[in-house]
Amino acid sequence: MLDAEHIAQIVAEVTSRIVARVGEGHALTETLNETLWWEHERLVRLDHDERAADDREFYADIRRQLPRVSEREQVRILQQVVHRYAEEIAGDLGHQPTGVGVPGRRRGPGFSPTAYKLATRVGPPLLSTLLTGLSPRRLLDREAIPKLEEHLRIAGEVHALARLHERGTLVLAPTHSSNLDSLVLGFAIDKLGLPPLTYGAALNLFGNPLIGRFMSNLGGYTVDRRKLDPLYKQTLKEYATVSLEFGQDNLYFPGGHRSRSGAIERRLKKGLLGCSLAAFRNNLVHGRPKPAVYVVPCTISYPLVLEASTLIDDWLAEAGKARYIIVDDEFSRWERWRDYLRGLLSLDLDIHIRFGQPLDSLGNPVDDEGVSLDPRGRPIDPAGYLEVEGKLVEDPIRDAEYTRELERRILAEYRRENVIHSTHVLAFACFELLRRRRPELDLYRLLGSIGNEQSLALPEVEDELAQVLTELREWAKADRIRLSDTVADAEIGEFVRAALRNFGTYHHRPVVERRGIRLHVGDAKLLFYYRNRLDGYGLRGAPTLVHERGQQGAGHA
Amino acid sequence: MPDQPKVAVLGAGNWGTTVANLIAINGFPVWLWARSAELCREINEDHTNSRYLAGLPLSPLVRATHDLEQAVREVDMMFIIIPSQGFRPVCADLGPLVKPQQMAVHGTKGLELDSHKRMSELILEETCMRQHGVLSGPNIAREICEGKPAGTVLASRFPRVIQRATELLRSKQMRVYGNVDVVGVELAGTLKNIIAIAAGMATEMQLGENAKSLLITRGLSEIARLGVALGADPMTFSGVAGIGDLMVTCASPLSRNNRVGAALARGDTLDQAIAALGMVAEGVKAAKIAHQLTNTLGLRSPLIHGVYKVVHEQLDPRLALRELMSGAAQDDIDPSLFQAQSQSPSSFGPRGRA
Repeated sequence: MLDAEHIAQIVAEVTSRIVARVGEGHALTETLNETLWWEHERLVRLDHDERAADDREFYADIRRQLPRVSEREQVRILQQVVHRYAEEIAGDLGHQPTGVGVPGRRRGPGFSPTAYKLATRVGPPLLSTLLTGLSPRRLLDREAIPKLEEHLRIAGEVHALARLHERGTLVLAPTHSSNLDSLVLGFAIDKLGLPPLTYGAALNLFGNPLIGRFMSNLGGYTVDRRKLDPLYKQTLKEYATVSLEFGQDNLYFPGGHRSRSGAIERRLKKGLLGCSLAAFRNNLVHGRPKPAVYVVPCTISYPLVLEASTLIDDWLAEAGKARYIIVDDEFSRWERWRDYLRGLLSLDLDIHIRFGQPLDSLGNPVDDEGVSLDPRGRPIDPAGYLEVEGKLVEDPIRDAEYTRELERRILAEYRRENVIHSTHVLAFACFELLRRRRPELDLYRLLGSIGNEQSLALPEVEDELAQVLTELREWAKADRIRLSDTVADAEIGEFVRAALRNFGTYHHRPVVERRGIRLHVGDAKLLFYYRNRLDGYGLRGAPTLVHERGQQGAGHA
Repeated sequence: MPDQPKVAVLGAGNWGTTVANLIAINGFPVWLWARSAELCREINEDHTNSRYLAGLPLSPLVRATHDLEQAVREVDMMFIIIPSQGFRPVCADLGPLVKPQQMAVHGTKGLELDSHKRMSELILEETCMRQHGVLSGPNIAREICEGKPAGTVLASRFPRVIQRATELLRSKQMRVYGNVDVVGVELAGTLKNIIAIAAGMATEMQLGENAKSLLITRGLSEIARLGVALGADPMTFSGVAGIGDLMVTCASPLSRNNRVGAALARGDTLDQAIAALGMVAEGVKAAKIAHQLTNTLGLRSPLIHGVYKVVHEQLDPRLALRELMSGAAQDDIDPSLFQAQSQSPSSFGPRGRA
């Protein structure tokens, strides 16, 4: 586990690498001017707060100095900027007097080693602590104080994780559908007996009234997605790389943000993903004893998603980009948490976490001892992929290509380890029936056409469900997808009851509800959201409705 | 050994032998792997390959071996030039012999039957070699062996593969063009063989140059549309490995697929046509695969379907022609190609591996 001193070392290392990479002359001036421009763009849009004021002052100062300074002075300024970025990324933990930082800079609550140690120790049973601590008893019924850990089902390739952790550095790469993901994973990591992970969390999470305090104490580093300056992004990637080189196990959501559509990720952020390979290569170059970086794909599947409504609204509004960072959603309203957890717990619903095939940093599968394997399972030495005539060679285009392959293999694991709940299946069947009824409509019109007055005859739905379940169960046998117990075993009648019960618990209106012998759709958008977990599999010959390009918008059928 | 080959060519058919010879003429010793010990002996002792390139002398730097391990053990790059339906078994044999450091370029124009996989996918599935590429272009082996000038395309997403292969192949006689669209170059090289069969029929039936030109351009449009649907960059089809390769196969009487088409138009059966050729005509299998693919993808492909029916369903070529000429004419430039082009801003964007 990294202590404050290590983190200060990381910040210093990151700073010196970036400064060296930028170099001198024209590139240096250009980089600084670009930073000024991007930061200006960001700051004019920002509300006034202490941090923003501080930033404005910092850049105003640089803007005054820049036209008059020598090249050596420019290097010093660049160093200040990068160091400031890196410190912010490190969070309060990175705040160490190093002499490079800007004097007089004010920060939030300073770093306390005791608090940090405490936090990392209590980190894992975080959620119960968190919820007990944050939910005033008068607001949260006693019986609902959650024993959430009892509702987590951890499965998959877990046996090798501890061994891989000894052999090298782990990168946990989960799917992302809810802000609960980090907390749920915290539990899982603890249950598996692994040490806490460092993870990049969006800056806005640190501002979240419910969990912000815990985030910054957890060893997480901050990612401010409003900062578009390429220098900032470089610093961020370098931070992740160096922390991996320091042997710090990492967790990041390679999809970049929560899935807006409800579908499993189709595309990953290659920038951050590439840090695993960069760290592996640097470890080899420096002849470090345990150079390997292992990437462990992992899925988190919820029967109901806390923020489903906001997310699908955002996706359908094609506003994903504009509202890239959703600050005010269900996650920051504790009464939604309460309803969510109550629903989850009262119905005995399980959140499934599945660990997929661990991979090396080039995307090759590894065995339980961390040895990389070729496509036919023969051991290989992955260092060879980086060598030319026996020497390690740097080649960013080559490495980007390897990272693309890593992405492809992670996505394949996501697809395979996706756990399907009864809510997904019922939503899929109902949506398919409605879609087939109106094949002439595009997605938006179709969703608009689905109202409460429309209904589906129960026998019709049951017929469709029977076929969907048959196909899914065959796929599960062939290891192509995973199923929750109900989806795997229940007979139709029982299955429908369970799915309807689940849909009736948390959302404002039941997504699907039964009236007599007919099923009514209470919320077309949520129906679509839950259906999307099965999008792209070609289940029952259904078209893919969520397209790669449509990350922030709807694809048309 | 100071002149131990650093490069190998696997497959001693006429194109494999030609590639090995090109490399050797450039002064690089090269292993040429062939299954037949007899052929190896001939190449090593007589410096000829009489079955595939009768009457043409080979450079003494071409060293034949039938030991696959010997051929690939010390090399940094191998060219795999094996007929498409024998490609996977050779890759499977390579699997235990190769290392992550090594690079593989294939020169096979075809897809695997049933799976419809491209050759580079087979390399990735059977071996640990990830740095791969494809060699394709308007290259009639015999012309090249006779020392005539030509150009070819080396497509790879790994710059070093292009660089190294170019170093080995480039000469006064041979120009090598780089491309990053592996999928497009593989598909263009494969699908054009179907059009070449049609061109062979047209020549044999003496339909004239107008007809042949129409056939080539409409054929290009069809294969580009199918290629784009499978993840190719439409621009690749207007390059050396696209229209360039199509023109040569349609024009040259030496082209194998062209010859098969001509034989069919004369009234030969498919078996007779192939027997007369004595070599593999990739277009025959490609027509079958493309027929299935266009049906699955719902693409309108009258030419491909016409060739398929003549080759595999014994339709009379004259009837096929009549069907083609009476079909409804579409836009000159297919709208799907515009669209695909505007959607591919970066040549390193995500594509392929459909």
